[in-house]
Formats: sequence, C-alpha cells, structure tokens
Amino acid sequence: MDDDLPTDFQVIVVGTGMVESIVAAACSRIGKNVLHLDSSDHYGGLWASYNFDGLQKFIKEVNADPKRQLQVYNLIEKWYIEKDSPQDEKKEDDENKTDDTKSEPVKKIWSHASFTAEYRKFNIDMTPKLLFSRGPLVELLISSNIARYAEFRCVTRVLTWLNDKLMPVPCSRADVFATEAVSIVEKRMLMKMLTSIVGYNEEEMNNEFKDWNDKTFKEYLSHKGLTPNLIHYVLFAIAGGTNNMPCLEGVKECKKFLMSLGRYGNTPFLWPMYGSGELPQCFCRLCAVFGGVYCLNRPIDKVETKTVDDKMVVTIDSKSKTLNCDHLVIGINECPKNLISPEPAESCDISKAVFITNGSIMPSEKEPLTLLRFPPLTDDDNAVTVLEVGPATGSCPKGLYVVYFITNKVKDAESDLKPYAEKIFDMSGGDQTQTADKPKCLWSLFYNVKDTSAPVASSADAVHVCSGPDAGLDFDRAVEQAEQIFKKICPGEEFLPRAPDPEEIVFEDDVTHGPEFQREEDDADGDAPKE
Amino acid sequence: MEDYKFLFKVVLVGNAGVGKTCLVRRFTQGLFPPGQGATIGVDFMIKTVEVDGEKVKLQIWDTAGQERFRSITQSYYRSAHALILVYDISCQPTFDCLPDWLREIEEYANNKVLRILVGNKTDREDREIPRHIGEDFAQRHGMYFLETSAKEAENVERLFMEIAVELMEQAKCKELPKYDGNLGPINGGVSCRIRFFVYIFLIRKLLQ
Repeated sequence: MDDDLPTDFQVIVVGTGMVESIVAAACSRIGKNVLHLDSSDHYGGLWASYNFDGLQKFIKEVNADPKRQLQVYNLIEKWYIEKDSPQDEKKEDDENKTDDTKSEPVKKIWSHASFTAEYRKFNIDMTPKLLFSRGPLVELLISSNIARYAEFRCVTRVLTWLNDKLMPVPCSRADVFATEAVSIVEKRMLMKMLTSIVGYNEEEMNNEFKDWNDKTFKEYLSHKGLTPNLIHYVLFAIAGGTNNMPCLEGVKECKKFLMSLGRYGNTPFLWPMYGSGELPQCFCRLCAVFGGVYCLNRPIDKVETKTVDDKMVVTIDSKSKTLNCDHLVIGINECPKNLISPEPAESCDISKAVFITNGSIMPSEKEPLTLLRFPPLTDDDNAVTVLEVGPATGSCPKGLYVVYFITNKVKDAESDLKPYAEKIFDMSGGDQTQTADKPKCLWSLFYNVKDTSAPVASSADAVHVCSGPDAGLDFDRAVEQAEQIFKKICPGEEFLPRAPDPEEIVFEDDVTHGPEFQREEDDADGDAPKE
Repeated sequence: MEDYKFLFKVVLVGNAGVGKTCLVRRFTQGLFPPGQGATIGVDFMIKTVEVDGEKVKLQIWDTAGQERFRSITQSYYRSAHALILVYDISCQPTFDCLPDWLREIEEYANNKVLRILVGNKTDREDREIPRHIGEDFAQRHGMYFLETSAKEAENVERLFMEIAVELMEQAKCKELPKYDGNLGPINGGVSCRIRFFVYIFLIRKLLQ
C-alpha cells in the first residue's frame, strides 16, 4: 500500500503537531501540493490526546525506550485504587440517566479494571491548552472556516488559591458586582483599574507605563492603591503571573484576558471538545480536503538538501523510498540534529501532571470547567496552571474529572507539582465512597517535557523547523510561528483564506441535477435575501 | 432560519476507490462522475429530504482521501449520527479490510452511532463477494446492510432515505447520540451571514 505514495511534492510536512498542521493546511489551501507524514500511528505528536489505552501505550513506550520520545522524561504513573472492583458493581450506565440535573448519589467504585473497560471514553491531553475567545486561534478558526471541524465548551469559572482555600475569581463586570469576597470600595477600585487597562491605546499605554519598564506588575498594582486581595486576583488569577512579573507583561496579559470576556461565556476561555489534540487534526482535515496527502506510521530516515539547477531541493528517505520537495516543514521532535543550527539555547523545561479524580475540586450545580491559577506556594516555585475538565467535554467517563497541572520546571515534575495537588485532592487512596471535602485522586501521572518552544533556525533555507509546545495557556505562539513559516514558503499569499461552504461549491461537471435535488428558489434567482 | 427540523451528520468510510464519493454525489447531485480522482475542496455535501412531511437535512461527510494510507483523523468520527462503511463487491481486499475499519470505528465513533454496511458497484460483472457474505458480516456486527450501485443509481436514494427515516425515529425516541448541551461550532451562530455570502457568490456567478 505504501508503494503508491507519490514522490514529488512542493511541500512535505513531517510531524502532525500544532505548528506543522497549521502550515500544512495553509500551504494546501492556496494550492500547494502537500504531503504530510508522521512517524507514529496517531495525529498530534506531543500535542496529542490519548484515550486510556493509548496513554498506557505511550507510557510504556517512553519507559521502555526513552530515546524514542526524547522530549518526555521523569515519567511516573501511580494508581490510588484497587486492581479490580470489589463487589457487585451497580450497573447504572447512560441507560437510565435523567437530564443532567442531579448527580446520582451512589458513588461508583473505580478500579484499574473499570478504567480499562471504559478506556475509550477518556481523552487525555499531552498539551492541554485553552483558547482566548478573541485570541488569534479563535479568529483564525472562524476566518478560515476550520471552526466547523471542532466543537468547544466555555470555561465556566476561574479559581485561585487564596488564604489557603479555593476562591472564585470575579471575571466579568457582573461577577465583580456579584461577588461577596470583595467590598464595594474594592469593587469600584477593581473596575476602574480593569477598565483603564482595556481602554488604553498604544500612546496612552506608553504614557501611563513609561516609568514602569523595570518595575514589577505587583508594584504597579500597589501603586494604584489596590488592596492585597485585589492584587492577588489581578496578579495571579487574571494575569497568571508571579510576584516578580514585569509590569508591562502583566498589563499585556490582563488586557488579553479582559478583551476576550463577553464573547462566548462567563470567562474569556474556550476548551476544545475531546481535548486540545483535536485541533491539529482540524487543520489536517482542511489540508486533506484541499488535496494534501496523509500518511501516518511513516518514519523518515534521512534528510538531505541539495541544489539542482540553482534551486534548493530537499530529499527525504523514508521506508526505502526517496521523496523530493521544495520545502520541508519539520517538527523539532522529528528533525535530524544536523539540520538545526545552532543548537537551541538552554531553556526552562516544563513540569506537567495529569490526575483523574472522582469529583470536582469545587462542586457546583452544573458540571464545571475550571481554570485554576495557583500562586507559587514558596518563593522558589513558579505559578501553577490547573485545568479541570469533566465528562461533558468528552475527556472522561461520567463521575470522573481529569485535572491537568502545568508549571515551569524547578526540580522535577513530581516534586514541583505534588505539593499543589495535595492542597486540592485527597491523595491517600482508601475508601472512594467516603465523602470528604476534597475529591479523591484515583490515578496520577507526572512527567517533564523539554521546552522546545523557542523558534529554531535551520541550516538550510528550504527547511523550516517547527517548535514544540510551550508552557503557556494558549496556542498563540503556535499560530504566530505557523504564519511566519507559511509566509517564508509562500511569500505574498494569503494565510488560510476562508474555505467555501458546501453550498457554495459549483462543480464544473455539474450539467444536470438529479430529480430530487433542488436548490431553494430564493437562492437560485439571487434575489436580495428575505428576512 | 433555515427550513429544516432535523440535521444529521453522516460519515462514510472504507478503502480508497470503493465509491464513497460517487455515492455521495449520486445522492446529492444525481450524477455519477466517471473516473474522478480525489475531490478537491469538497468537505461535506448537504441534502434536505422529506420524511413524514418533515424536512431532514443530511450533512454527508467524505474522507478527503485520508483513508488512502489509513490516516483518517479521529475528529472525523466525532459527532456522527450515522456511519456508512463501504466496500467494493468486485474487490476482495476492500472487504478484507472491514475488521480494521470496525476497530477504528469502535475506538473513535460514538457507540450509539447508526452503522450501515454497503457493498457498492453492483453494476460490475466481476463480483467477488457474494451478497450473503456481506449480509452475514453485517449481521454479526450489528449493522444494516445494503448493496448499491452509484453508477446505475441503484439503492442509493434508498440508502440515504432509510438512514434519514431511522435517525428521525431515533431522534423522536431520544435514542440518538446526544451532542447537545455544548457550545458547538464557534461560528455556528452566523448562518445568516453565511447565507449572505452564498447570495453574493451566486450574484457574482450570474454576472460573469
């Protein structure tokens, strides 16, 4: 089957991570002849989502052969539950569910076996990320019409850790006024401060912040007279910063947060159904729709660049076949070392953890989708981003939650993140039916990921290296980098112009219509739209 | 608002060359495109049919050629209401691959999705898979079964109409996989604007 793979392309893309996939879609969309390969049997690379079975395979793969997945290390998986469920398990599946109003009072007892049995209901992300409602990715998805391949849910709340407990962060104007955690005076102060940040244009920004270049955001907030509570909300929860976050960065982050409010839900964030790993696939689908050829399970052995008739061509050896292209776009994970120049600088790796729990960290009437921003617990730590997603997002079976922790690495993933997890989960194992104030952690996975997010120059003009995932909350850097790479390959071309809707496509061979096929009449005469 | 009561997503899978695109185009446009390669730029086709006096809109998705090297995105299967698995009755290997396809469907599609096995190309003289073999396979795997010819327009209408009828029945008994309650596509609310584009597009076409 592999043998009928064509050998000559304008663009070959290796790796199906976010950046690679966006570039592939953009090139194919404007008519480039694209081949898209991945060495593994699934889409996404380090950006993938796995069901529970796939995740187990991934863990085994990393542990058995650390060389294959160079970017992932310190991987520790732990179970806090029994191998098999104890007694008669009450069969209460989706069958007798009533409309998602009340959660059933009987708590299911989970075991390894029940996880395995429901493996396909899990979609666990290696790179969980949110989308800002007015961020570049949402705008791109809409303007390119790729949004039709994906579904989203709104993040329902933003929490923070304050005075040793979880606190909701007032996001919107309504929230600010509804919250009881801050006084009236504080509310006014907060609104004034937030409104002014959003309102600043470039010039006013420069004016207001001209003396703040070398100061911290915290200093600015105190200078503005905000109370410690408010400083906490703005600095840690809204700007996602730490005590020494530079002022301008803080302002920028705040502005980004505030600008995305009020578009889709109560918070500025969207979460992709079935996980972030769906998004690269959406771009791949568009690439394929416009003629891109897809081939997973296709490792590459060798990459060479040479000049033929004054033109640089790249040849790739893969499964004893030689593939040629004018441009090679390659994920850093798959890229041969000799093509990278110079070696990427020393950078800060990422510590990550995934927990599966039997309840929300802060139960609410409707299933919550939570962003929690943990301020650093000690001075050496970094801020920790926590995302809690439930069954309604397609991430796990009913009754469970998947919780992601992300921070910049200090020591190793487990020592960096466990102290935070213990604050909000019961990690002691034991009786699952016991109702405690904290949800039980049933399973956990800690791992470190090399930071490969810094842009990397390649040693040849025709080779474009794509960065790996960063520790940031959103996809903005990936989108930005993809656009840059596209502009280099196709100068002057439009980046992902809107793809037509099916109704708009007119086939050249459309001579006769079948008897049943009727266009709506008003469409056909092209009259002005009626109501 | 658009004039339909139900919208169903139907996806087709099966080996390359079994006639998936031909089935879709025969049904939606009433034509059989001979010897076409992969269809460029076509994502899904739409056709509104009437069942019991109610308008049902079928959104029929094709694989975009990703089946060629077994590289269909998981997201293709998400939110499908019905899934048509197609083989070519004159080509044994396309039948032999069915278990692989079923495994993929098990893994990624909703377990309540309506599944139909279709043996296409009944117009061919060189049949390799007898009808009862296909029927048996379908029965063993809890699928509906139909043999079709996109070329001769045989059973194509029936295939999609039966899907529409079945899905509507399920929808009425609320047995349908539920995809509601979420935000849906982020540009889902702008159908008016899209229709406006359609007008512009058609006007441009007329002026050319």
